[in-house]
Amino acid sequence: MNEIEKLDSEIDASCRVSLLALFVGAAFWLVVASVLGLIASLNFHMPEAFANCPWLTYGRVQPAADDALLYGFCIPAGLGVALWLLARSGRTPVRGALVPFVAAHLWHLGVLVGLIGILAGYSTGFRWLEFPRGASSPLFYAYLLLALWAMMTFGARRERATSPPQWFLVAALFWFPWIYSTANLLLVAWPVRGVTQAVVAWWFGDNLLFVWLALVGVGAAFYFLPKFCERPPQTFYLALFAFWTLVLFGSLCGIPQGAPVPAWLPVASSVAAALLLVPLLAVVIVAWRAVRGSVLSKWDHGPFCFVGAGVVCFFLSGLMWMALACPEICRVTEFTWFVPAQAQLQLYGFFALTMFGAIYHILPRSAGFELPFPKLARAQFWISLSGVALLVAPLAIGGVAQGRQLQNPGISFAVISNSTLPFLRVSTTGQLLLLLGNLIFVLNVFGLASAWKRSVLKKALALVKAPLETAEVQA
Amino acid sequence: MSDESDHIPPEPPGRPPGPRSPAPMGFFILTLVLLFLAAVYFDHHSGWFNAQVYHPFVNANELEKYQPKSGEAALLARGMATYERVCGVCHGNDGAGKPGQAPPLAGSEWVLENGVNRLTHIPLTGLSGAVDVKGQTWNLSMPAMGAALSDADLAAVLTYIRGSWGNKAGPVTPAQVKAARAAVAGQPPINGLQALKALPE
Repeated sequence: MNEIEKLDSEIDASCRVSLLALFVGAAFWLVVASVLGLIASLNFHMPEAFANCPWLTYGRVQPAADDALLYGFCIPAGLGVALWLLARSGRTPVRGALVPFVAAHLWHLGVLVGLIGILAGYSTGFRWLEFPRGASSPLFYAYLLLALWAMMTFGARRERATSPPQWFLVAALFWFPWIYSTANLLLVAWPVRGVTQAVVAWWFGDNLLFVWLALVGVGAAFYFLPKFCERPPQTFYLALFAFWTLVLFGSLCGIPQGAPVPAWLPVASSVAAALLLVPLLAVVIVAWRAVRGSVLSKWDHGPFCFVGAGVVCFFLSGLMWMALACPEICRVTEFTWFVPAQAQLQLYGFFALTMFGAIYHILPRSAGFELPFPKLARAQFWISLSGVALLVAPLAIGGVAQGRQLQNPGISFAVISNSTLPFLRVSTTGQLLLLLGNLIFVLNVFGLASAWKRSVLKKALALVKAPLETAEVQA
Repeated sequence: MSDESDHIPPEPPGRPPGPRSPAPMGFFILTLVLLFLAAVYFDHHSGWFNAQVYHPFVNANELEKYQPKSGEAALLARGMATYERVCGVCHGNDGAGKPGQAPPLAGSEWVLENGVNRLTHIPLTGLSGAVDVKGQTWNLSMPAMGAALSDADLAAVLTYIRGSWGNKAGPVTPAQVKAARAAVAGQPPINGLQALKALPE
């Protein structure tokens, strides 16, 4: 084992407990999100099934499912990947690993409180910010601690020159505290008046769902794709360009075209969304240059497939996001199933797939054990990918059909709603597939964590049972 | 568990990692072209941060074009704005009145009289006691809501209620309001149907 490998395994070991705490919790919330999403979806097929249980009505279960996925899975998974990646690429072990370990538990506690709050009816009512106040402060402080530790690791890096993945991840570390505190102060603590609330909520949703996820997911993809293909990163300036255009234009989108606000807001938003074409193309080209020539030979490598499919989904969901900001298209697709289709493609297709690949790569190295079910993990790629396709495509197509019918005042609303049911049935099948894929992911992560726990117990037991040193016996 | 490929190749310090790729000139040009088109679009559609301009209007000048400037339209617009601010709360923005609050103005015989003296009198002094409107007796009390309005504003309101919601009666001029105001100065509210009928039409 040479020097570099020794340092690598030292770094992996230094973030072991933090990563296990973050990823095990994330895997748990992923399954919770799938189950809640399935219940929400069943509300359309069997409206009377949960009608007498207020906790399971659509208005509560749907935001709970979305927030369990976003806050429960996406953010802790992204933070874990960021912590490991900043440590690895800076060639510095994480010091004081107890703090991120505790912060990870505080985060998951916040998610638990928030989800119970939503299901009990205490949602704030703002999209993507539904968690009540009791949940948002633990989440905020847990994130601050985790981000602080990742930043300290980054600051102590031995390799001083920075690389593109580091910019993306460091920006993401700063992005969330900024938008989350602003949105909570302006919407929940001291609410601003009138339509400004909606503007703040749209700004927050765009910055969390588009910018934050893109920063972490694309940063991870820029790190892992060259690594999986065993070559140094091919592009530096194009990645720099993708970074600045993404944060500059991405953060200005999000105001719907039909919004009842002064015209310059939606116009600025749609102009920024049109300019998103630049970072989208740049990301795809950077990724393509990293994998060019190795796609076929790497096709059997699980994490590579996950991250590669994630980048493709990022491009597609980015195009859908641009379409939603185009006045001509938005007039048809606004208030239809097209909007959730875009969000699900961004959350599941882009971010979750990328994170699956990253975690399948990181966790075995960090925990020091092989994946317990590598063949199932391989199958999970195809199950999750087809799940995403079956979830998103029908919703997007159904959304366009629904929007076109809504333009026609001759068709009654009930008829239009009924005509979307076949699309919803197919998308429920997609959700079932995603649930299956997520269960495989949980099986692997939990299996790995329990193997590690067993080994720790075994070591502790051996320590207890070990014969006393002669010197101690004499004393 | 470590594999050979799992580390970044060492780099000389101070140099960006990876081979020096050429600056992406095509992307700079694409961005500049898109920025230019975006600026043109923003210029044409945004109203330049004017808080009054909403979709589908695109700038303040266009908005101004649709605002009535003079003549009868301007008078009606002014009357409508004043009516909805001062009178509509009780009489309803549709002029249909509200039970227990205020009688209707739409189709009211007092509004549609040929002479405007009685009608002008009511907002200047107020009206209390029982009066009949459209065959129904209303026993309420209205304060002198119009006393604080300017002659032009009150004339515009009266013209508006005489010409809206199916009402088709002639306008009221500021001069008529001015004369009525001088005549009623210091008088108490009109009390009941008889007092109202006693006024010259």
